[in-house]
Amino acid sequence: MTAIEKINQLSHRIFNTSVTEQSVARTSNPFAASNFQKNILTEDVFESSDKKKNDNVNFTGNLTASSKRIYSTFVGSINDFGNRFYEGLETIKQFGMRMKDHVVNAWNKIHELGNKEVTLDGAKEVLSRDFTSFFVNHNQREISKMSKMDPHGEVKPMLVDALSALEADMAMAA
Amino acid sequence: MNNNFKNNKNFSKVSNIIESLTINPNPDSIQVLEEIGTNSSIDEVRELTSRALVKRNEHDSLSVVIANRGKGINDMSTVVAMSTINELLSLENKEEAMRVLENTISSEGFDEEVKENARSVKALMALS
Repeated sequence: MTAIEKINQLSHRIFNTSVTEQSVARTSNPFAASNFQKNILTEDVFESSDKKKNDNVNFTGNLTASSKRIYSTFVGSINDFGNRFYEGLETIKQFGMRMKDHVVNAWNKIHELGNKEVTLDGAKEVLSRDFTSFFVNHNQREISKMSKMDPHGEVKPMLVDALSALEADMAMAA
Repeated sequence: MNNNFKNNKNFSKVSNIIESLTINPNPDSIQVLEEIGTNSSIDEVRELTSRALVKRNEHDSLSVVIANRGKGINDMSTVVAMSTINELLSLENKEEAMRVLENTISSEGFDEEVKENARSVKALMALS
């Protein structure tokens, strides 16, 4: 065989892929198009995509009935929580809007009545004072309520519990 | 008393309970304060309790902080002892406190250390 003939054969091997191209169409193997010295890869070593299509995705296939119930309860609770959460947000929003409306109405009313001395700074001071007194009064109410309780039967267990919680806080902080 | 402590929710709760026992007319409150508050491992709680017992200004409550070793004016913590003495000095009516102090000084049943402290506090109260 002459050198020219050999070169022709080689070029035929390299460039003539028509034989293998027909078989490529039937497989998902991207390397199936390669011609390894005319030894065509007949086996599809990759998992066929057709096979995957046929596989049904089944998330619950291996779950027992009781597990399914638990998961459904869990998912139900999440949905429920979401609803309650949004209901809560809605309530807060409505409350805020109502409060804002009341404050704005009161403010406008004061100015309608001709009281120009009412300023925003004054209002802020009054509001902050009222909030402070609200918390102070709350404490005083609690103290007053407890002072009417039975020291041994009611107050003592409360004091023991509060002290235990305080000691636990201190231990954590240390 | 540091601010971290004051801001603690449970400390506020303890403080409120002790304060309620200060104004509770039931004399059993003194026993609860003595049993739980003065035996607490936390200095701030013992301090609050001692002051509460002084504020009650009754014979039994004052006896706890004056005539007991390790409690009130005899507490191991200087802060607790000084705070109790301050509260005694700021009492509007000091008669009962003076009586308890005199009893403690003259009685045979008390430690010499307790008597010595009572004597010092009595001198301070007489001057104030």
